[in-house]
Amino acid sequence: MSDAHLSVPAAARVRRLEQAVIDAGLATDEELDAILETFLGRARPLNGARLIARAWVDPEFRRRLLDDPSGPLSELGLPSLGPNQSLRVLENTESVHNVVVCTLCSCYPVGLLGPSPSWYKSDAYRARVVREPRAVLAEFGLEVGAEVDLRVWDASAELRYLVLSCRPTDTEGLSEEELASLVTRAGMIGTAAV
Amino acid sequence: MRPHDLGGAEGFGPVDTAESDHAFSADWEARLFAMNVALRRRDAYTSDEFRDAIERLDPDTYYGSSYYERWLAAITTLLLDKGLVPPEAVEETAGG
Amino acid sequence: MADRAHFGVTERVRCLPQIGDHHHRAPGYVQGQVGEVVSVYPARPLPDAVVASGGRDMPAVPFYGVRFLARDLFGEGQHSVTVDLWETYLEKSG
Repeated sequence: MSDAHLSVPAAARVRRLEQAVIDAGLATDEELDAILETFLGRARPLNGARLIARAWVDPEFRRRLLDDPSGPLSELGLPSLGPNQSLRVLENTESVHNVVVCTLCSCYPVGLLGPSPSWYKSDAYRARVVREPRAVLAEFGLEVGAEVDLRVWDASAELRYLVLSCRPTDTEGLSEEELASLVTRAGMIGTAAV
Repeated sequence: MRPHDLGGAEGFGPVDTAESDHAFSADWEARLFAMNVALRRRDAYTSDEFRDAIERLDPDTYYGSSYYERWLAAITTLLLDKGLVPPEAVEETAGG
Repeated sequence: MADRAHFGVTERVRCLPQIGDHHHRAPGYVQGQVGEVVSVYPARPLPDAVVASGGRDMPAVPFYGVRFLARDLFGEGQHSVTVDLWETYLEKSG
């Protein structure tokens, strides 16, 4: 195996590639900056969290979110997913827990959750969570009882998944905004309770 | 079998569950991410071809590279294979 | 027609074994395994064909959420794994 590529730091290689791409007319500096500022700037876990919080307070919204999220997404002013992708929301209950992975690469709803965490992309997570999810979830500090229907979802096609966690107890007085702040990215992937 | 097909594979240790405040651990990762978005929007290549390019990395390169290093190698190879950038502009960046 | 779904919810299907070394989206751990269709999704471009044609062909093929039991996949485990599989990768299970 040639190690030539390893001797040049990735940062330098990316700069060189970026210049080549711009010189070839495949992108402009402005475009790249705009993607970083706009697409990535707007993509954050709070987007998904707002869907979850609304579903907690509004049973009708919840029903529609689980049935077809496209309406709920646009109602909250959230971006739809890419041209060939669809969102599906998975409901946790007392007897069902959902956890999401993409074993083949690391497909993930970036627009709703922001760029994925390193662990989601890691070889260890991709390899192990389909085979031993309870052990993996325990490493995240989440115990899932043997009596719980534990469903692992491998996003191997055009669907991107979001887990609708159970609303925590003792949250009756909280506003929707306060509820959204309780929702974590890990919870929306399924490696945390909320 | 291609190196990316990891589901159910054994021999991996604990998942590093640490969460970072930063989406990317280095600026170059973010630039690369943006480049990939731009290139796909311009139809330089499809997402499927992008995944295929990563999967075609030889196992040593795949397992020896970080997540975004794989992207870097794959995007470079894809652009070269399609004749979209000249080889001399990106020498030493293609991996595997 | 290529875009009319052939399988229905609750139907038992087998993921074809040895899908091949080309680009596809059938994880090795479900190849040759039998599961139950839990969802039917509208046709989307089959990745194998997109790559084989260099991005030119986008044949739309239905795909399915297929649920497999861990004990069938790995010989142990009290969980299920639901994988989204294009119809091209599936056959009816007897």
